[in-house]
Amino acid sequence: MCGTCGCGEPGGPASPIRAHAHEPSPAPGHEARRVEVETSLLAANEANARALRERLAGLGIEAVGLLGAPGCGKTSLLERTLEILAATDPDAPARVAVVEGDCATDHDARRIATRGARVAQIETGALCHLDAHLVGHALEKLDLDGVERVFVENVGNLVCPAPFSCGESRRALLVSTPEGDDKPEKYPAMVAAADCLVVTKTDLLPHLDFDVERCVERARRVRPGLPALAVSARSGAGMDEWLAWLAAGGRR
Amino acid sequence: MHEARLCLSLLDLAERHLERAGGERILAVRVEVGALSGVVPEALASAFPICAEATRARGAELRIERSAGRDLVLRDLEVC
Ligand SMILES: Nc1nc2c(ncn2[C@@H]2O[C@H](COP(=O)(O)OP(=O)(O)OP(=O)(O)O)[C@@H](O)[C@H]2O)c(=O)[nH]1
Ligand SMILES: [Mg+2]
Ligand SMILES: [Zn+2]
Repeated sequence: MCGTCGCGEPGGPASPIRAHAHEPSPAPGHEARRVEVETSLLAANEANARALRERLAGLGIEAVGLLGAPGCGKTSLLERTLEILAATDPDAPARVAVVEGDCATDHDARRIATRGARVAQIETGALCHLDAHLVGHALEKLDLDGVERVFVENVGNLVCPAPFSCGESRRALLVSTPEGDDKPEKYPAMVAAADCLVVTKTDLLPHLDFDVERCVERARRVRPGLPALAVSARSGAGMDEWLAWLAAGGRR
Repeated sequence: MHEARLCLSLLDLAERHLERAGGERILAVRVEVGALSGVVPEALASAFPICAEATRARGAELRIERSAGRDLVLRDLEVC
């Protein structure tokens, strides 16, 4: 653990990790004492997320988060969703706002904009996840008048977005079939943060050994009773179930 | 690398409590890191001394206690 300074403290996995202490003892004449804190480090973001959720709820808007690995099909799912909505009501996409999070580029925002939704792109640079503060400011740039639903597409990442709520009422975790059906077990923090598991790219199943049932079962080992569905943005299979889950509203 | 960013909020919180307690220096920081918190204890431990350098927790010991859930909590401080 102390490779940084070479003080060679052994730190087996069972022992608590201790960063080295170079000036650990109190200065003469000063008693060391304990100060209770008991405060969550995520409290600041939690407060921001709650405020954002309430602000949106006040406008009659539910925000849904999309989480998943890079390239798991988050933007494609949104594109297909907007396409289906537009087929029954050409004005429907205009009632959707999307916040896109990527480390760089506005590629995804451009894709969404061509489908008629209002969209704001957040380029996070080195930051590996969105948070409520970033999303709140991105939404300030959009006119939310007439908007009924906000989608927040997080940075493609199967670890870091988990603990940082972005003001969503519900979060969907996407796992694409080429990733393998063991991902929910390998990345349990993301499953724990999710309200629905969406297996994506099911059109590719014939070419892979991905087992949808096994994937769902593995996710439910982490989060019992987690709702799950399987879609292909390419073929449109399963999109009805996805739209039904969305329509079911802010129940947790 | 959000551990560095979290480390800064950790130190910020710790320094505010140091001030409130009328202390001068932080000797140790005890943090609970849940297995499902999305935080890698090793990454937090290596970010800590660097982030603490310019604070009143310079050289302080970081004690990480692992738990099973999603918690990420600053438990207590040792100050003088
Ligand atoms: N075969 C197939 N390919 C898909 C499907 N959905 C997405 N893809 C492809 O997967 C690739 C990534 O899709 P995106 O929608 O950009 O994925 P993303 O999760 O938004 O990616 P990032 O935002 O970069 O993390 C693209 O080449 C898509 O065409 C699908 O249902 N079937
Ligand atoms: Mg995308
Ligand atoms: Zn990260």
